[in-house]
Amino acid sequence: MGTTPARVWALSLLCVATIAGLFGSATVTLDQARDGLDVLGRDAGPQAMATTELYLALADMDARVADILLMGTDHDLGSGRAEAESGYEASRAQAGRALLHAASLTESSEPTEPTDGETVEERNVQAVLDGIGAYEQLAAQALLLNDEAGAPPGEVDPAALQSHRQATRLMHTELLPKAFNLGLDSSAIVRTNHEEGRSSVALGLVWVGGAGVATVVSLIALQLYLRVRFRRRFNAPLLAATVGAVVLTVGVTLALNSSGGHQGEAKDEGLDAAMALARAGAITTDMQADQSRYLIDDSLADNYQQVYLERSQQVLFRPASNLDDYYARIAEVPEAFPNLPGSDGSDGSDPEDPGTLGYLGQDARDALLSGHEGALAEVLAAYNDLQVEDQSLRTAAREGDQETAIDVRMGISHTEDGVFPAYMDALDGLIELHQEEFADGIERGNAALAPWTWGLPVGALILLTLVVVGVRPRLAEYR
Amino acid sequence: MNGRMEVNTHMWFGRPRAWSVAALVASAALVSPACSAQVRESLVDAESLTIGVKADQPGLGLDVEGEIVGFDVDVAQEIAERLGVTDVELVGVTSAEREDKLISGEVDMVVATYSITPARKTEVTFGGPYYVAKQDVLVHADESEVSGVHDLEGRSVCQGEGSNSVRRITDGLGIEVSELQEAKSYSACVERLAEGDVDAVSTDNLILAGYLAENPDGFRLVNNPFTDEKYGVGLPYGDVAACEAVNKAVGEMYQDETASELLDKWFGETGLEVVRSVPQFEGCD
Repeated sequence: MGTTPARVWALSLLCVATIAGLFGSATVTLDQARDGLDVLGRDAGPQAMATTELYLALADMDARVADILLMGTDHDLGSGRAEAESGYEASRAQAGRALLHAASLTESSEPTEPTDGETVEERNVQAVLDGIGAYEQLAAQALLLNDEAGAPPGEVDPAALQSHRQATRLMHTELLPKAFNLGLDSSAIVRTNHEEGRSSVALGLVWVGGAGVATVVSLIALQLYLRVRFRRRFNAPLLAATVGAVVLTVGVTLALNSSGGHQGEAKDEGLDAAMALARAGAITTDMQADQSRYLIDDSLADNYQQVYLERSQQVLFRPASNLDDYYARIAEVPEAFPNLPGSDGSDGSDPEDPGTLGYLGQDARDALLSGHEGALAEVLAAYNDLQVEDQSLRTAAREGDQETAIDVRMGISHTEDGVFPAYMDALDGLIELHQEEFADGIERGNAALAPWTWGLPVGALILLTLVVVGVRPRLAEYR
Repeated sequence: MNGRMEVNTHMWFGRPRAWSVAALVASAALVSPACSAQVRESLVDAESLTIGVKADQPGLGLDVEGEIVGFDVDVAQEIAERLGVTDVELVGVTSAEREDKLISGEVDMVVATYSITPARKTEVTFGGPYYVAKQDVLVHADESEVSGVHDLEGRSVCQGEGSNSVRRITDGLGIEVSELQEAKSYSACVERLAEGDVDAVSTDNLILAGYLAENPDGFRLVNNPFTDEKYGVGLPYGDVAACEAVNKAVGEMYQDETASELLDKWFGETGLEVVRSVPQFEGCD
């Protein structure tokens, strides 16, 4: 009867094949998971973060120009004209670097319009680049005209004001929206990469699970066949191989699941939160510049006051129809924290009050889960300080006390003790916590996969060895 | 997922026995957490779209003998086309119905002078804005003394029912109007303006321009805007993929100047100062 050894051979080869399948599918899936972590942790993530700095840098350039115009001939107001000028240069350089990041990120993503080879993002990068040049010309012209006219603080030369209006309009209709949208594009690219990676790992897991089951089933089939043909109770090496196959499959699956979980945390609680807060900082930068614009341009003062309120609402929303309402509502937020006024709306007491929203409000809701309360409390308090100063600025301006209003304004942006730099410092502290969470998540994700770099090939070899050891003595009986 | 695994095991074994089925179930339980992380259905995969638009707003969405036409309608069609959808059904919605119809799924998307606000963002995901309208003032053509919102001091102003546009002038800017009239709709306000029963109508400049386009000699747009109204594309809450796709579509519309052409088509005659570059998007989170 030559069929018995042939069947043993066939079943053994089936076991070897399924073990190879398990090894292969696990290797591919582990590689995909590692790639996903690498792309998020080293490439797309940091680049997307850098893109958010473009908006911040541009908003800061326009803010510095408005401050210098407001100072006029008094170069010692606030932290001084020289400081504002060097701040402008630093932001100009920063904008250039952030644009390079944005360009490299958009190039590395799939082209969306293969017909003309240029994506929406690439054209946006180019448009911002061109726009910065035009902006710089207008801004330089405004400053030059104002200097030549020897305009005193708060009384900008009309021609200079005209150039400034054009410059800030260019900034707000052309540059800032495109810069902001580029940041959103990079978020979208990160999200798409992340989700594609996740679904390919999920598919890989199905293969690993299938191959694991196949391995176990073929090992048991071999075990049963040997038991029937050779009347043995059980074959110890094959039993060990069966247990080993289960351990390998379960181990790899758990590692992939845990790594995916850490990657998700890195993205959601780390990167996405850090980017949202960076946007809050950029919008606040633009919003505090609206204070200077409000003081230098009487005919558009209403408009600048209105957009100040609108930008404030984007950063931290409380229902309010004018700034005085808003100041009062915002003062309640740091007082109530860690509770949030009107939060989650579930009490249903006031349909007009949807809660504490906006970038900071959103983070506040998430922070209650992640233990950033301390850092966030600082940010909320610093934000309220900024609004308190804004109130005294506008009160002075309304009462016709231009000198006090200008002093308050230049005090707000003072590099050493201004409430605005203090707010940005507090915000940076909070952003850093989220960035640490990002780095930790990536690291833990990698750590979960690390043992399987050697564990998988060693495990597969052990399984193969056990099959050989288990089958050889039986085949030897037929020599 | 189970189905797919069973196919694989059948390929390898021919006849799975009872214990192999048990193993299958066990491993399915093992693998399923990964599978449950599947992406939810998104409008980007839709083959047809029902889009809610205004049907009573000249220039934006107006029912003209059974066909709804306007700037919003054209924008909606453009977005749908760029999402790869050709089967589009337009449905008229009123301002009050927009959230409900979107949440109930009666419409897939809303393009209906739908301002993005923090409160609405708690129940609707907004793509865009595709245009940032601004509150402005419409006066009778004979009125020459109103050149800005402050000139409304001591004048009567009309707002549509449920709107708070005049409150933005009185509470927001501290301007004392002589009388706040409330009419059933802005169309009714504009009728009163034509008949001289009210001095001014104030709301989004695109809406005012729509009325002006119907009667260019009867009214004058002051063109001194003072707030931002971000017209967004309302999407089912949490459909981030659709939101990103809509943003991409709007970005393209501005880059290839379709948006600029549509603004000219609907508001070119009105003297409205339009912005022809892409608005700052709201973000999809």
